[in-house]
Amino acid sequence: MLELVGIDVHFGGIKALDSVSLAVGTSEIVGLVGPNGAGKTTLFNVLSGTVRPRRGTMRFDGADLGAVPPYARARRGLGRTFQIPQPMHTLTVAGNLQVAQRFGGGGVDRRAQAEILELVGLAGKADRDAATGLSLTELKALEVAKALATRPRMLLLDEVLAGLEVQGKRQFTQLLAQIHARYGLAILIIEHDIETIRSLCPRVAVLDFGRLIADGTPAEVFSNPAVVASYTGVPADA
Amino acid sequence: MTDAGARVDAHAVGRRAIVPALVVALYLVVPLAFAGNLHLMSLVVASLTIGGIALAWALLGNLGGLVSFGHAAFFGVGSYASALLVMKAGWPIAAAIVAGGASAALAAVLVLPALRLRGPYFALAVLAYAHIFRIVATEWKSLTNGAGGIGSIPRFPVVLGYDFSGKTGAYWIVLSLVLAFAIVYRRVRYSDYGLALSAMHDSEEATRAVGVNSVLLKAAMLFLSAFMTGVMGAFNAHYIGFLEPDYAFSGLWTMLPIVAAIFGGYRTIAGPLFGAVVVYLVDQLVFKAVMPIGHQIVLGALLGAMILWSPEGLLPALANRLPRAGARPSRDA
Amino acid sequence: MTELVLQALYSGVLTGSSYALIALGLALVFGTMKIINLAHGELVLLGAYIAYTCESALGVNPLLAIPAAIVVVCIATALTYALVARIGRDRELNSLLLTYGVGVMLTNGALLLWKADIRSTRSAWLQEAFVMGPLYSMRSELLFFVVSVAIIAGLWWWLARTWAGRAVRAVASNREAAKLMGIDPHRVELASFVVAGLLAAFAGVAIYSFGVIQPSLGTSLTIKAFVITVLAGMGSVPGVLVGALLLGITESLTTTFLSSALQELAGMVLFLVVLFALPNGLFGTAWRRRVR
Repeated sequence: MLELVGIDVHFGGIKALDSVSLAVGTSEIVGLVGPNGAGKTTLFNVLSGTVRPRRGTMRFDGADLGAVPPYARARRGLGRTFQIPQPMHTLTVAGNLQVAQRFGGGGVDRRAQAEILELVGLAGKADRDAATGLSLTELKALEVAKALATRPRMLLLDEVLAGLEVQGKRQFTQLLAQIHARYGLAILIIEHDIETIRSLCPRVAVLDFGRLIADGTPAEVFSNPAVVASYTGVPADA
Repeated sequence: MTDAGARVDAHAVGRRAIVPALVVALYLVVPLAFAGNLHLMSLVVASLTIGGIALAWALLGNLGGLVSFGHAAFFGVGSYASALLVMKAGWPIAAAIVAGGASAALAAVLVLPALRLRGPYFALAVLAYAHIFRIVATEWKSLTNGAGGIGSIPRFPVVLGYDFSGKTGAYWIVLSLVLAFAIVYRRVRYSDYGLALSAMHDSEEATRAVGVNSVLLKAAMLFLSAFMTGVMGAFNAHYIGFLEPDYAFSGLWTMLPIVAAIFGGYRTIAGPLFGAVVVYLVDQLVFKAVMPIGHQIVLGALLGAMILWSPEGLLPALANRLPRAGARPSRDA
Repeated sequence: MTELVLQALYSGVLTGSSYALIALGLALVFGTMKIINLAHGELVLLGAYIAYTCESALGVNPLLAIPAAIVVVCIATALTYALVARIGRDRELNSLLLTYGVGVMLTNGALLLWKADIRSTRSAWLQEAFVMGPLYSMRSELLFFVVSVAIIAGLWWWLARTWAGRAVRAVASNREAAKLMGIDPHRVELASFVVAGLLAAFAGVAIYSFGVIQPSLGTSLTIKAFVITVLAGMGSVPGVLVGALLLGITESLTTTFLSSALQELAGMVLFLVVLFALPNGLFGTAWRRRVR
């Protein structure tokens, strides 16, 4: 579904991403982990089009993604959530889904809106004001719902669980599993919580200082000395 | 301020009865009441012309999120385009008026690069465009007859036996145009496009992530606003019968609509229209009588005062103090 | 032919120096408050009309009107600042509307007080030709060029060397940090408005001395100042100087080789070229573009 080859991103003199190559299959769930500043969100920004890579190619669903302008990527089937929820806060919850469906999903479908709201747990809250009427958990649910409304074939989830407590995290993880089961979409998820990654993702990729240092099953990756070193700061060959 | 598609207009119930009655009154009562007073009728026509521009300006501000200080540019382009098409290319007036609007929209294409500028820069860029068009109109003598202007522009024709070239005919035409604009404005605002537009201003990143092409939508609002203003200009050309660059591109066609829209409440659809009628009539009947020259100084002061103390407009603030139109029946009724 | 070009360049530089004063005033206010004063051109006009009043009512040389012009214009700018500072929310937009309203008041005030007639100085001394080799100018043009250069140098010194000037630069570059340093942004803002008024007063008297004035000039000057800042790219003072000279030169070249009527248009075309081709201006940072 998604194929990145040799992506380089420079911000001034800093190499935010260094020759990153990653592939995600059609219904695969892949976790993306790494210390803060490793370049995970930058990678998402490259995928959603807000950042241009200096080098490298991106193919999504068989077609070149680099040439597609940012607003059109949702229409191609690439949905994205933001680390800090960004609802369209002049609208209601329903309004958010309406706009997402109409402009990113190819058409309005009230039934689908209801189903999505049901799935993420916002069933009775369609008329709530997105700016003031929702709790943090609900805002995160809306964030996912909005992305789902664009009928994506792949979801980019940027630390959706951040800020939730243990119980909330478990529920949300279950929700993500349900979404995957229901829609069969590919998911690339940035997450810090190792538990969640282990339970949700059959495959994990690790970024450190802009480079991809590991890519495999959670068991393989988290016992990889280079990965451990990147988290603990102890060099791999110490 | 929530404006989701599912929200019920709070005054809809009362308004449904009032609106058709009001429309009928406007078409029939006003001409009958003012039939003898040509001066007053011409003031009313002028105020509605300004109202149309005010509506277009408010639309660009509310939906497009763009404030323009140069709408006179679109007005002037529409005026000249329509007059020239009729006089030099023999077009019928109705088609020429539409073409006038279209020409203004085309002129707006030149303004597109300014869209990527932040607020104050865009506002000034359009002002610069107004200046540019005025100079072009003055210098391109072969086309526009330069500063001498164009005279004897054909008036509105006789249709179905009624001569529309008089004040009442002009009044009906401009009223119909303005009402049509209001309807279009309303439909866009309450459509999915309206939702996306209102979301774009505050959450541009979020709207883009769900597939909204914000640049295209803003451009569309610019074209729509320019078209409406151009149509007003074209109407005015055939109503007045005379054009010259300093008149067609006069800063008054920018200033009066702005004051009108802010006064009447630029966030509403009817506000700019009411504001135009009130502001223009009071300015011409009262201020001008007291200060024949420079009377618009009061309008400048009014604008400043409104921005400081009542940016949502004076009419809405006053309306809030009155009992609501279409009020719920009282308990002892 | 080269003589014509040299003359045009010379005249353009002379006129450009006054444009620079106007544009710098606009840029200064924008730097500290991040707002554009749409009434700025009208403030210059006010200075010009003070000079006219002094000359016609008191019979004095417009140069002697400068102190009066400074006082009046600075009071007007201080009042404008007082109004702008009162804006509650949405300052970027509302300040445009407010200063636009102030501009309308000033233009109509000028109409009321001085009527719509075109005015210019009657001082023969100022209008007398001053020849330097093959180059000709009015004495007033050269005089005000020197004055402008002195003022700009003074402004540079003020910004670079005095504490007040440093405070202005601090607020312009990072308002929050400046507050943390103990700088009162309101005083800095007022100072920048008043200094802008000072610059405007000089420019007004200059324009009255070597050009013509009428109430509608205000808008035209604001636009020119805006065009210069677009040329320069916001945030660049040297850019403003270059932009002002460029505008002056473009105008005089147009007058020489095309026609004086197209003079206004020349500046506008320059503006369009920059807008389409060089959105950051000649020197500016990318501040003006939307964050993508």
